[in-house]
Amino acid sequence: MSELDPAPAPAPAAGADPLSKAYGSLNEVSPDLSVLHDLACRGSWLTILDKVIQARPHLSKPHHHLTYFSYNLLSLIKLRRFSDALNQLDSLDHSLDSPNYLYQTYPKHYPNQCGSMVPFILRVLHAELPAKVSGNSRQETLDRLYVLLEFVRGKLVSDILSSTSRALWEKRECFVINSIISHHLSLKQYGVCLDLIKYLIQKSESDGEGDDHKLDHRMGLLSKLGYIQMQYGDLDGAKATFGLIENQVDDRVELRNLVGRNKALIYLVGKDYVSAVREYDECIERDGNDVVAINNKALCLMYLRDLSDSIKVLESSLERIPTMALNETLVVNLCSMYELAYVNHADIKKTLSNWIARVAPDDFDSTCTRV
Amino acid sequence: MSGTNTTAATPGGSIGPHALAFRVMRLCRPTFQVDTTPLRFDPFDLLAGEDFFDDPIASDNFSSLKSAVDSQSIGSDSSADLTYRTRLLLDQPSDAMGIPGLLVLPQSFGAIYLGETFCSYISINNSSNFEVREIHIKAEIQTERQRIMLLDTSKSPVESIRAGGRYDFIVEHDVKELGAHTLVCTALYNDNEGDRKYLPQFFKFMVANPLSVRTKVRVVKDTTFLEACLENNTKSNLYMDQVDFEPAQNWGATLLNADHHSSEKGDKISEVFKQPTLIRSGGGIHNYLYQLKMVSHGSPRMSVEGSNILGKLQITWRTNLGEPGRLQTQQILGSPIRHKEIDLQAMDVPSVINLEKPFEASILFDVRLNLTNQTDRLLGPFEVWLSQSGLSSEQVVMVNGIQTMALPRLQAFGSSDFHLNLIATKLGVQKITGIIVFDTSEKKTYDPMLNLEIFVDAN
Repeated sequence: MSELDPAPAPAPAAGADPLSKAYGSLNEVSPDLSVLHDLACRGSWLTILDKVIQARPHLSKPHHHLTYFSYNLLSLIKLRRFSDALNQLDSLDHSLDSPNYLYQTYPKHYPNQCGSMVPFILRVLHAELPAKVSGNSRQETLDRLYVLLEFVRGKLVSDILSSTSRALWEKRECFVINSIISHHLSLKQYGVCLDLIKYLIQKSESDGEGDDHKLDHRMGLLSKLGYIQMQYGDLDGAKATFGLIENQVDDRVELRNLVGRNKALIYLVGKDYVSAVREYDECIERDGNDVVAINNKALCLMYLRDLSDSIKVLESSLERIPTMALNETLVVNLCSMYELAYVNHADIKKTLSNWIARVAPDDFDSTCTRV
Repeated sequence: MSGTNTTAATPGGSIGPHALAFRVMRLCRPTFQVDTTPLRFDPFDLLAGEDFFDDPIASDNFSSLKSAVDSQSIGSDSSADLTYRTRLLLDQPSDAMGIPGLLVLPQSFGAIYLGETFCSYISINNSSNFEVREIHIKAEIQTERQRIMLLDTSKSPVESIRAGGRYDFIVEHDVKELGAHTLVCTALYNDNEGDRKYLPQFFKFMVANPLSVRTKVRVVKDTTFLEACLENNTKSNLYMDQVDFEPAQNWGATLLNADHHSSEKGDKISEVFKQPTLIRSGGGIHNYLYQLKMVSHGSPRMSVEGSNILGKLQITWRTNLGEPGRLQTQQILGSPIRHKEIDLQAMDVPSVINLEKPFEASILFDVRLNLTNQTDRLLGPFEVWLSQSGLSSEQVVMVNGIQTMALPRLQAFGSSDFHLNLIATKLGVQKITGIIVFDTSEKKTYDPMLNLEIFVDAN
């Protein structure tokens, strides 16, 4: 990253304001950013790695390097090449808070800008990487995430933020807390998860009624709270939580499906799989892309002793909406069903894994087929 | 039955290749998939520097950049989306929690514990290229002590299973025994040559104890306290549904809870966020304290002779997605109830006795006592004296005059008052101990353990 050392840059053409139209498109923010974003959305992480290597010699501004660095690091982590990712992160010449990563350090490049040009994702990946490298380092990751949370909150108390910037930092606070919850969840530290979700819900309520997004956010949080309660066995608690959601939703399909899926879960834990399947069917009727409903419906069919149909439900979803349905959990379920249903399940799983190899994104974890 | 959940055991005790094979999956409840760090982000945390939008020009362009990002990632029609953007971009902030609501089937046989329900999906597969007929299927659980039939189709056999076909069933069994269990699946069927074939398959598993319960009983005056310490020996956290003490006939029980400090009450959210009672896996403990009181039925003096049973604990817990478990302890015994046949109570004891003259060596005083017969028969006559075998070398309080006092007989549940004339020889707080009551007809000595204190003051 030596390219990032302060260096004289070509002076902007006199007279014209070079920045007035500068950031109207992604490619004006960084070269080929639009392509990178597109590749990332398609899960073409191997292509991104190649592209970063090709592009690096041609990058002209300090922040270009950090953006490409971020795409490179994210690709390595997505591809589960964690030790390469660790080496990459170590190769960074400066700490993320170094003046080398401030716009004002390069007045010729950024005559009117100040602040950090570090993409926020770098801080997140820096925090997450220890747990990815080794399950034993989860505590280190949690510590780093809590430090990151303090950092974000420090930003939020400053009064120089533009309204766009403030909204982004608020999202980031929420994001970091959600990430923290995810780690506590995998450590089965449910008490702290409940406290953090409570904080998030109260915060979203204090922000006022707001728009659809805010309502969706709150309903999403409550649903997740209900899942967590169910996971550790508090069925009454989960029912009460789902009840709060039903009282607040409007008529949009996403919310009706959320309520429908929650109802199905209540039936499911009560072992009324027939009613659960009926609820899931209504969800799938409203939104054919509701993969959660599809996956969970298949499981209910299996608990109803209908292994053949449960396999059909999952297989047809992979055929019909591959980019939506293809996820590791659904494949794990399908393979468990194959193992039970077929003596020659190895051949069938091989066929599935060949199909996956053709259509799956680069970051798909193919070990889930257990071939 | 370890490793992957689905198992095809090696057929034991059969000869030759079989057309049929059992495949078994333990069917406990599914689990919510938790993806720690789903690696999904807000696009602007990746596309630009974190303070990029502090710049007014950049900020002005935010909405056009955002729509560029959205249109690119969502496309014009979301149902035709052929990207994997949901693996990268957050739809909602809470997606970062990594619990999308997808359920996953049990991935290992796992441990099974006393009080749980063993549930299993059993699939009998015909892997041959011919149809088998007249299939008698049986599934039973064998333990060291018993065999429990879970399924038996011999009365109405499965007519046929086609080549490549299956016959599925689900069995359930409440686990009430510890130790080795074997799920035995057998099939008796006709193959293509009309030969009757017998296929037995065995699936072994161990049942362990989920909880250890330690109890302590303490008696404070009339009240008995029972402390129960529950230790979780399982590999999952236990959500304690109910830990109820079911008292024996003569007892009433109240669970004592520390007052929970609740600063915010009333609102719906706080209701929802009640902290659950979870006992952590692998040795976590939780203590319960019950206050037990004798319930009087009719005569307070009646008691169940020889019984010191307090009652038993009924414990129900839940784990993953509400998978239930229940256990009941054996009868918990209290300290043996020493039902006293006679009772001696002090009725009137002078609180302060003044030595009237400073240098007087001793003073006489009276205490009034009450002796009660607590049995339903005649007792006595009695003799009462002050035992001299106290630990103190010097006897400070003594009986004045005749050392042994005679008392008449007492009717069933009868009582009588009497005076004891005592003499104190020393200043200060003095204890009167060792009053012995002797039943002269039954030749039985009672030590009523009556301890009195007097204060001998110098005037």
